[in-house]
Amino acid sequence: MPLKWVLHWQPNAGTTVNSQILSEVSQCVESMNGAKGGRWKSNLTYYRPILKEQANSAEYPRDFLGISLAEQPNKYYFILRGQRIVLEADSTIQTIMEKLQSYKSRVSLNFEGFQYQLGDFRLRVGKVVPSHSENVRGIVLEVEYLPVSSLEKSRQIMEEFVDIWQEAVSERSLPGHFMHMEINFGEYGLSDHYTSQHTAVQYATVMAQLIATVQSTVQLARN
Amino acid sequence: MECVVQGIIETQHVEALEILLQGLCGVHKEPLRTHELCLKSGPNLGLGASEVRLLCDLEQPEPSWTVRHVGGAMRGAGAEQISVLVRPMVESKVSKNALRLFYALGYKLDHELLRVGFAFHFQRGAQITVTVSTVSKMPKLHAIEEAEPVTPGIQLVEVTAPAPSDNYSEVAAAVSSFCEYLAPLLHLSKPGVSTGVVPTAAAAAASLMSDGGTPIL
Repeated sequence: MPLKWVLHWQPNAGTTVNSQILSEVSQCVESMNGAKGGRWKSNLTYYRPILKEQANSAEYPRDFLGISLAEQPNKYYFILRGQRIVLEADSTIQTIMEKLQSYKSRVSLNFEGFQYQLGDFRLRVGKVVPSHSENVRGIVLEVEYLPVSSLEKSRQIMEEFVDIWQEAVSERSLPGHFMHMEINFGEYGLSDHYTSQHTAVQYATVMAQLIATVQSTVQLARN
Repeated sequence: MECVVQGIIETQHVEALEILLQGLCGVHKEPLRTHELCLKSGPNLGLGASEVRLLCDLEQPEPSWTVRHVGGAMRGAGAEQISVLVRPMVESKVSKNALRLFYALGYKLDHELLRVGFAFHFQRGAQITVTVSTVSKMPKLHAIEEAEPVTPGIQLVEVTAPAPSDNYSEVAAAVSSFCEYLAPLLHLSKPGVSTGVVPTAAAAAASLMSDGGTPIL
């Protein structure tokens, strides 16, 4: 399948993301003659263990994520970032987890927005919002290069596109910029050939970064 | 949900059973070689103990994995009246990291088995699967090549069919009806209800072998 990079909005220190920034970003894509397509939506859920004794909670993972991706409606992905484990499963795995009653959903976030076509590139601009809420907690941008599935072979063209994109966004003088996290997919047992498991790992990494950003913003406010 | 019955047959009569099944099902058998790992939650995890099975299909060029959760058997007057066991069952095909994931989540290996034999998948009032297999245990962790039969000379026969939770009666009836054709060779009953081998098995097997097969029914 075509490879993609998942970028996230990194607000400047002391600022937070909001709907206005999301609107500016969308306008930026459209100003590049991006043809607006349909909506898209992915979901990420944090799971926590159900324990008899809380005292031993450190023995269990705190970063257990479940992800459903817009591009794979019949699949579900589990990730343990700390142990570099990613699992692709049929959607029925969620029913199995519910029946096991060993882990429960703690926080659920949606990534949703519109997609755009720009030549051989497909962009998805999305806001990060908690389920059942409209508060924008982040912005993500998927940059998909349709002709190629190799991460290495596509690196140069992706970097060039992202440079053009960053320049276009910077002209709007927004309080932040998009970031792309370099991930060692090999640590997850993933190859150079791109798959939806790569996408799931990218979303897990983006979430970790978004949480770190929120935590540092809170710390700054306290100081 | 699934409907399930089980029985046992002596290995010497398996060839005759295969001939009978070939005639009844109208399809070719598929080889079966499955490594089954039963995992249970650690003592502190979950309000109660939970169990999940990981199945690795070793017959494929690239081993493929399935996670299966089997619930408790349906109970009550309705359940007692039917001759098959009805229970919740959910499966999910997964990529190869399932065992690592469940270990990391706090599950432990309770036991592992190797099932080797064959299966028939066919439609007869329901989507039915008949498996005939030798069940083996491993003397050392994951030592598939050293697996030894749990019951030498005896193979397990299992007949299963998926059923909708709100209307399992038709599937149960289809399974039950099919099992009657196998009666001369083996008796199938709910798992946990031990019946042993049937006394007519030897004669039935001899008849099947001498006939060279039965016409497709």
